[in-house]
This record gives sequence, C-alpha cells and structure tokens, in this order.
Amino acid sequence: MPEKDTLTKNFLEQEELIKAIQANDEIVLKNLYQENYYKTEKYIVDNNGDIAQAKDTYQEAFIAVWENVQNNKFTPMNQTALNGYIYSVAKNKWLNYLKSSAYKKTKKLDAHEYKIQNKPEEISAEFDEENASKLELVVTNFNTIDEACKKLLEVFYYENKSLREIAAELKITEASARNKKYRCLEKLRTLVQTSN
Amino acid sequence: METEHNISQELLETIERYLKHTMEPDELATFKTKLEKDPVLKNQVDDTAMIFSGIKKAVLKNKLDVLHSDLTENKAPNKGKTKVFKLNFKSLSIAASILILFGSFWVFNQQPSNEKLFEHYFEPDRGLETTMSQTDNYQFNDAMVDYKNLKYDLAIEKWEILLKNKPENDTLNYFLGSAYLANNKDIKAIDYFKKVVVNQQSSFTQDAYYYLGLAYLQGNNTEAAIEYFKKNNSPKSNEIISELSD
Repeated sequence: MPEKDTLTKNFLEQEELIKAIQANDEIVLKNLYQENYYKTEKYIVDNNGDIAQAKDTYQEAFIAVWENVQNNKFTPMNQTALNGYIYSVAKNKWLNYLKSSAYKKTKKLDAHEYKIQNKPEEISAEFDEENASKLELVVTNFNTIDEACKKLLEVFYYENKSLREIAAELKITEASARNKKYRCLEKLRTLVQTSN
Repeated sequence: METEHNISQELLETIERYLKHTMEPDELATFKTKLEKDPVLKNQVDDTAMIFSGIKKAVLKNKLDVLHSDLTENKAPNKGKTKVFKLNFKSLSIAASILILFGSFWVFNQQPSNEKLFEHYFEPDRGLETTMSQTDNYQFNDAMVDYKNLKYDLAIEKWEILLKNKPENDTLNYFLGSAYLANNKDIKAIDYFKKVVVNQQSSFTQDAYYYLGLAYLQGNNTEAAIEYFKKNNSPKSNEIISELSD
C-alpha cells in the first residue's frame, strides 16, 4: 500500500485520540463537542429545525459517536475523521427525524428521502434493541441513586481513577472506598434488575 | 431468584479487572477458559459490562449541558474582538462568492436545463457506516472515511488499489462511481456504475441506475439519462423524467 507511510504516521495520533476518548479526557471531549456544534446547528436550523432541536440532535449524535468509540465500533483515523463522523451522524439523525411520523412534510425533503430509504440505518441501530433498552435502564437508574454513590461510581468507572486516588480525593481509606464502590454498584444492579 | 447482591465482592473485582484489561496474563488465561465453560459467569460479565457502560453514558449525559453552556459563552460565532480581522476577510470572501454566485447564476440560466437538473438533484451517496472492526475491511473503510470527508481523490486512489484484486466487487465499483461523479468526472463514473448494474442481484443496482441517469445528465446525454432513470423507476427518477420532457 502506498498509503502505508501516512498510516504509520497517523497511527500515534489516532491511538492517542482513541485512548483519550475512551478515558473520557474532559479536554478532548469538550474540544470535540465544541468543534462540531455550530456546523451541526447551522445544518439543522437551515433544514426546518430550531436551536433547541439542534442541541438535542447534536447531543444524541455526540453520545452515539462516543459510545461507538468506547466500544471500538468506530476507529477514527484522526480528529478530522471523527469530526466528519459526528456531523454525519447528527445529520442522519435529523433527516430520520424529518422523515418520521413526528414530522411530515413532503415536497422539500424529497431529495433526502430518496437517499435514506435506500441506505443502511445509522450506526447505533447495530446495537441490538434489547441491549439498548437495558442500557437505558442503567442510565435512568443511575440518576436515582444517592449523590455519594454517583460520585464514587463516576470517578471509578467514568474517570477510571485508581482506588488510591479516589480515597485521597474523597478523604476516606482505600478499604472503605473499595467496599463502598462495591455496595453502590450492587445497589445500581439491583435497581436495574427490579425495574426490568 | 436473584438475591440482592448477586455477585460477591471478589467476583465483581475479578470481572472488573477483566473488563478494565488489568489482569495479569496468567489470570487472564484462566479466566478466559472459565468464561468459555461457564454460561452463568458469562452472563455476569455481560451484565456487569452493561452496567459499566450505563454508568459512563449517564455521567457523560449529565456533563453535556456543562459542555454546552460553556460553548455558548466562549465560542459563539461572530462574537469577540479577536475575530475582527477574520471577519473582514470573511466578508470580503462572502462578497466575492456572492459575485461569483450571481455570475454563475447568470451563466447557468443560459445553459441547457440538463446542467441545472443535475445540480438540483445530484447529491453524492452518503456512504457506508465504517465500523473498522474487521481487518479485511480496514482499507475499504479507511477510504470510506475520506469519501465521507469529501476527499474524493484520496478515496478513489485507495479504492482503485483494492479494486485490482476484486474487479467485480459491486460495492467498490459503486462507490468509485459515486466518488468520480462527485468529482464531476461523469465519464469515469459511468464506467464504474455500469459494472455495478451488470450484476442484477447487487443491492446497489437500483441506486447505480439512478446515478447513471444523473451522470448522463451531467454529460448532457438526455436520451441515455432517461433510459437509466426509467430503469431505476423511483419517484425521484420519474420526477426528473417528467422535468426532462417538459
């Protein structure tokens, strides 16, 4: 492959980017979020949407992309590829919305409609429905547990901090952080199971 | 039935090490063997993985509005003093593009309607989802990313290499056609789309007919364009046919 050199060159950049996203690096995520927002907003506002809808659609897309990177379902070559991906996922989500029964307007959208019908659904459809709804259950139940548990689970699972760091941050012993984390996680698991 | 704590602390921590990829090679090997034989354990791992994902997703969701409010303060477009120069440059270029737009509008108005119809209807195929999970698809998907980022030349270069090994591949031919057409190379595009429609079973055949119609429209060959739009026979195609016969 003549591209091999470019691929090798991009490899480090790419690997760092994926690592940063998987580690939920706040600066990288923020940058990614802000980089693509206005472009998407403009697209949606130009296509019969308002700013609130633009924000919702964009956030859905942002989460979907983040999820795919987390699960290694999308491996961006570099930030430009990722930017393009976020924008196109948001665009597809918006077009699907316009196409949906919630929004019916024929004439202007014909050109898009032809496209959508013939194309595979967007990425997240791949995630099978049962899993998706179970995941949503975890998300909703997470927001109902107490703040202390939320914080603990957040630093441990989202920020991926070590027990030592967490203990220092929360001013508790490591053993206590470890036990609390276990109890909080099982509390959440039980909530999810009972709401199933 | 499920007890309240259906996973012991020790088991949770083991699963955690597995999911966070922090197991030592020995432990990992033993755990994997166990996992293959023990469906209950497999279930517990999947369940726990789902909870981890859910926690992360919930946290991110809760953070989104912070990211957003920050954005409105700091990155609102066309605000801030630092942008004065850029703005001047921008308005210059806007003025220039308006001039060009009007100019070309005038020119287009004088051109045969085929060109206008093409401009009106043509939109490159959106491309395929790129998962990049399988190594054999890596090169294809890599080019697909370029394609989606409108870097058609780069995508064409990469796909043509792949096509050498699979000259009959409908997906490759279809997207090469699509990339060439997006680059205004209608004659090249027609070659590739025709290779797609050779295979009537391909899921790209119908779309290829439509784009063949558009490519011929671009090449100002109305007769051939109509022929392919007829084969496609979609509402869109019929709409173009009726505009062509007006």
